Amino acid sequence: MLLSITRAAAVAIALGAGAGLALAEDPPKPEEVPFWAIGKPKGNTLAPVPSFPIATPAAQLPVAKLKVPPGFKVEVWASDVLDARGLRLGDKGTVFVSSLFVAGKIYAVTDKGGKREVKTIAEKLFLPNGIEFYKGALYVATPKDITRYDDIEAKLDSPPAPVMVYDKLPGDVPHGWKYIRVGPDGKLYVPTGAPCNICARDDKHMKIVRMNLDGSGEEIVATGVRNTVGFDFDPKNGDLWYTNNGRDWLSEDLPNDSLNHVGKTGNKDFGYPYCHQGTIADPEYGWGKNCAAEFAQPALLTGPHAGTLGMRFYTGTMFPAKYRGAIFIARHGSWNRTKIFGGDIVVAWPDGKGGISKMEPFLTGFVDNNQYLGRPVDVMQMKDGSLLISDDHAGAIYRVSYSGK
Amino acid sequence: MTVPRTAAVAVALLAIATGAVAQADADRFAPCAACHGAAGVSAIADTPSLAGQPSFYAITQLFLFRAGRRTNAVMTAMATPMSDADLRVYSDLIGRLPAAPPIASTPADPARMKRGAALAVQHRCTSCHGDDLAGGKQVPRLAGQREDYLARSLAEFRAGTRVGYTSAMNETLAGLGPAELDDLAHYMAHAPGLGTAGQTAASAPR
Repeated sequence: MLLSITRAAAVAIALGAGAGLALAEDPPKPEEVPFWAIGKPKGNTLAPVPSFPIATPAAQLPVAKLKVPPGFKVEVWASDVLDARGLRLGDKGTVFVSSLFVAGKIYAVTDKGGKREVKTIAEKLFLPNGIEFYKGALYVATPKDITRYDDIEAKLDSPPAPVMVYDKLPGDVPHGWKYIRVGPDGKLYVPTGAPCNICARDDKHMKIVRMNLDGSGEEIVATGVRNTVGFDFDPKNGDLWYTNNGRDWLSEDLPNDSLNHVGKTGNKDFGYPYCHQGTIADPEYGWGKNCAAEFAQPALLTGPHAGTLGMRFYTGTMFPAKYRGAIFIARHGSWNRTKIFGGDIVVAWPDGKGGISKMEPFLTGFVDNNQYLGRPVDVMQMKDGSLLISDDHAGAIYRVSYSGK
Repeated sequence: MTVPRTAAVAVALLAIATGAVAQADADRFAPCAACHGAAGVSAIADTPSLAGQPSFYAITQLFLFRAGRRTNAVMTAMATPMSDADLRVYSDLIGRLPAAPPIASTPADPARMKRGAALAVQHRCTSCHGDDLAGGKQVPRLAGQREDYLARSLAEFRAGTRVGYTSAMNETLAGLGPAELDDLAHYMAHAPGLGTAGQTAASAPR
């Protein structure tokens, strides 16, 4: 009996919307190496690790092990947010949370008298990592397209059908998931990462573009960008800064991830795949390149394989004055190292000339005995000046506040 | 004299404690054991052995069954009512089952083994599953799995009717024909890698 059921079920596998979540736009290509494994030395067993498929219960979150500078406090702001990735704040205080492979959902978290309520407002989406809130609407970017949910905060219980904004993204899974922002110029900024660990330059990938909010008027902002999953605009002058994930398999300690200054004029070439961290010529693609002379240089190196993701300039008044204008950066933590690097929040101070004067650890304790207790993805400032930090490993959102005590 | 006696008592206590834990585990595992075997070694056609599978892989599959993203009538029925805590309990149990070869495995055919080994390298199976195909973390152990289950799974991935979080397996197998998939399954089922490498890295994150 069991046998026949099992066999019948094997034949009758339903390719529902949930399964469609995982399908790439392009038909499968023969004999393809997994994108992240290109360049991997033989015998090396390191591999990317997805988020754990179960959110850690609130009582078991490792908040007691997390460390912040004196006078700061870290607490659990929301739990049971499976695969929590991008964070955006609505005008009415709703915190929108994106997710990736594991959940494929967009959440809305609202504060009900000090308790957080987590609602799923969209699901069965294709790697919906990129979100932005602007003038009442929630923008959602997948590797394929960008859609818009109008007047979303008034419709959290019955979200409207999304409106298509732009449907010409390449749709690759590798580095295809997005981080999107509306800049001070009112344009939507959209990156497309390299569809590989390391591969030849083409004009569809490895760049940041901006476009009008209806998807028209696309123009290039930066090229030679391997994979950015975090950027922000300096509130002082509107300059664009972005984080970049460096290539894998070169070595345990090189190359570094980086923080990069684009500025306003844009169209700087940051060198991928020819050069890494500004100065290292790629062993395959870098022949004949004078990296430091030919390409824009990073403002800051943020560590080998650190998984440098979300970033925000701090504009609040809750934290001590020295943090105003500084950049908080989430480092997801490495998979491409035998010893974990990153997995924390760091803070970096711009020097006013497109560079960074120093970087300090800010929120640490997510790594214990070379194992993750959490992996920070995005960082977002709340109206009161506190910071929220998403953790896709535990499916949680932490809050850091300052009282001086 | 005192030292050995203390040690003997400690050993005895440990044995009792281990026995009790093992019995509790066996009771919990009973619903799984009905199809997958008492020690997670399946004697039922088309039903995978669970022995030696990493707990991270096990919880991921239970999660996908529960969410309707992987479909099998029996497993969907088993996983649908499970809580998050249940998923952890069962995947932890599976992660503790020592690897073992499948029951009543047919003898290895040298020609098919040779072809399968070459395909495993050519199609980079070892990139994720390890040179010994023992898996680890979210990646399943292939070495010693039932050949019929492996053949069926490979055919499903090849056809695109089974997908994981991404289409990585579908893309990896895209260029392979039915005979090649069968040779791969034959090789994996008889692969010698029955060490515990997959299990050392398998414990579920908390």
